[in-house]
Amino acid sequence: MRAAAILAVILIAAVIGPWFLPWRFDAIDWSAVRAAPFSGSHILGTDSVGRDQLARLLTGTRVSLGIAGAAALVALIIGTFWGAVAGWCGGWIDAAMMRLVDALYALPFMFVVILLMVVFGRSILLVFLGIGAVEWLTTARVVRAQVMALKVRPFILASEAAGASAPQIVARHVLPNIFGVILAYLLITIPQVVMVESFLSFLGLGVQEPLTSLGLLVKEGVDDMDIAPLALILPCGVLMMLLICLTLLGERLRGRLSA
Amino acid sequence: MSLYQVEGLGVGVVDRSLVHDVSFALEPGECVALIGESGSGKTLTGFAPFGLVDGVRLTGSVRLSGQELIGTTEVKLRETRARDVGFAFQQPLTALTAHRTVAQHLVESGAAHDRQVLRALLADVGLMGDGLADVLRRYPHQLSGGQRQRVMIACAIARAPKLLIADEPTSALDAESRAGVRALLRRLRKTRNLGVLLVSHDLAEVAQDADQVVVLHQGRAVETGPTRDVIARPQSVYARALLGVGGAESALPIRREGGTAKLRRERRNTHTPLLSAHDLHVSYRQPGWRGHRLKAVDHVSLEITQGEAVALVGASGSGKSTLARAIARLGPCDSGKVLWRGELLPPRHKLRTSQRQHIQPVFQDPVASLDPRWRVCDVVAEPLRAFAPDLTTAERDARVLAALEAVELGPDYTERRPQTLSGGQAQRVALARALVSNPEMLMLDEATSALDALTARAIVALFMRLRTERGLAILMITHDEPLARSLCNRIIRLEAGRIISTDS
Repeated sequence: MRAAAILAVILIAAVIGPWFLPWRFDAIDWSAVRAAPFSGSHILGTDSVGRDQLARLLTGTRVSLGIAGAAALVALIIGTFWGAVAGWCGGWIDAAMMRLVDALYALPFMFVVILLMVVFGRSILLVFLGIGAVEWLTTARVVRAQVMALKVRPFILASEAAGASAPQIVARHVLPNIFGVILAYLLITIPQVVMVESFLSFLGLGVQEPLTSLGLLVKEGVDDMDIAPLALILPCGVLMMLLICLTLLGERLRGRLSA
Repeated sequence: MSLYQVEGLGVGVVDRSLVHDVSFALEPGECVALIGESGSGKTLTGFAPFGLVDGVRLTGSVRLSGQELIGTTEVKLRETRARDVGFAFQQPLTALTAHRTVAQHLVESGAAHDRQVLRALLADVGLMGDGLADVLRRYPHQLSGGQRQRVMIACAIARAPKLLIADEPTSALDAESRAGVRALLRRLRKTRNLGVLLVSHDLAEVAQDADQVVVLHQGRAVETGPTRDVIARPQSVYARALLGVGGAESALPIRREGGTAKLRRERRNTHTPLLSAHDLHVSYRQPGWRGHRLKAVDHVSLEITQGEAVALVGASGSGKSTLARAIARLGPCDSGKVLWRGELLPPRHKLRTSQRQHIQPVFQDPVASLDPRWRVCDVVAEPLRAFAPDLTTAERDARVLAALEAVELGPDYTERRPQTLSGGQAQRVALARALVSNPEMLMLDEATSALDALTARAIVALFMRLRTERGLAILMITHDEPLARSLCNRIIRLEAGRIISTDS
């Protein structure tokens, strides 16, 4: 429960926090470049070009979470669809679909994402499409296994006898019964995606200036580590709390559903 | 002071009480049986005081050798479980760990890691002798069901406990190993002065083995006392009913002669049969690379006329379920034709919705055949959505209520979920779902074999009534010949996928 509470505080701060600050994340205060924390209206000080650190931290969290949520959702939709079709149909359809998943698994996916960036240019849309397109593989495997386990249960056969068509059975009986597992995997996928996004941004391939994200903030923090340690510690701390809380919640949900 | 004394034991979950006010006492060397139908709380009463059931609230007092178990710490309970009590479970295959040998199991249970000790322990449970020299090195899958159960009992008594709690220790075994395990328990009681708490639904077993019995019904002890007295002079209505179901034959409501003769006459008058299957053949591909095909149903033909009840009888693996599913178009079918009133039924995946409606199934496991997330009213309404899509909501609700009434369930069941139903209630709901679209034939796939004797009798009576009221044809799959005899006009015996005899 503590994990949920901390997560809620971070979420609320990231979503509505920026509106209550006097500075926007990209506004430059020429009178206060590299200001120390608690100087004037800059609670956490400013960075090397005079932008408010608190505004950047909150916006960065918001961007990271937004990309992660969207990418995880994309992964979930593709993965659920793919896994459900493969698990339900079985036979050679299943074999073909899952071999494709295996093949994609074998690709070094960071390399794929970087390649996409290079070919199509750097954009947020590509970041999350790229991540989502890779993260769906695990979801597909999990959903397929669940569907295969459910498919042989008598109530599915009873539903067939009751005249329901295959898509109707999947929509009415199969998916609702594995919804909990899907939700648990969403919660476990989000921190993974946050991690990947931060890593890409840290490398300079993800989110571009002046927009920011947790990974980009960490990178800037590293540059000024010796003079402004708080600029490194804070984004790292938020990132860590996010990952721990989301993973804990996801694990707990999964444990409860499988018990 | 008794070895094990239970006084006013209550077991509850968050909002409900599952076992109320159960009391009994067990002396060393004695056997007390907890008996009742599924869902009566007998397993809970046996296991919950030892902390083996999660998430329950315990009240009352349970003392083992004078030591109170309720309200004590988990550490103390664990000590008690390790030292003073042994447990034997119904499914010896799942209760043993697949990748560990018999010796490892025994050592884990507290036996000294010494060949002589382990051998003595195995000899004590009758697992020494010809062809069993290497039994310590065997894995669970290399043992028979009876041998596994003996290993589990050996584990349970490895630390020489004073009390053994055995949950249906024989009900997963065949008749011969069952007698062996029962004799073993009797011997251990005598030689080790071991108290045995036996959880069972098998009256014959209990009558012979137990000194005392506690009859549980809906979580209440409706009768407690010496076995002889309870069996000879049952006081409660429920215990009397339970004792009345000794043999399946005597309990069944309709005798063969009258109904069958009448139906046989009717059968002669009909021209086209309701359903006829010609030369059905079903095989499964065996696992493995280039696995050859296993014949499950081998060129079988049969006919069923209107209102006729036909039983398919055979051992497990004889292909009776596969055949019935092929006929109902709910399973695979390699070749052969199925005609419904002379009209060809296409194979499973090409069947039109209107053709699905003719034959409706009821399966063995009643709770598993209902979607756990659906309410009863939605479950029963499901066939109507497909077979009668034009109904208004009010009409559909009326049909659902009528179907529930036909299976003797009131309107207060409509909002319940499958988990809150007992096995018998769930099977009635499944039957209501089969009946709601007014089919002409029912396929009953071991529909009563997962139920206890009392519930099964009630469900069989319901089948009989519906059959006469609605003129339903029935294709029944069972391994219970007396049941098949009393309910059906014709009995078809299957062996290895072929019909070996037909009785009418």
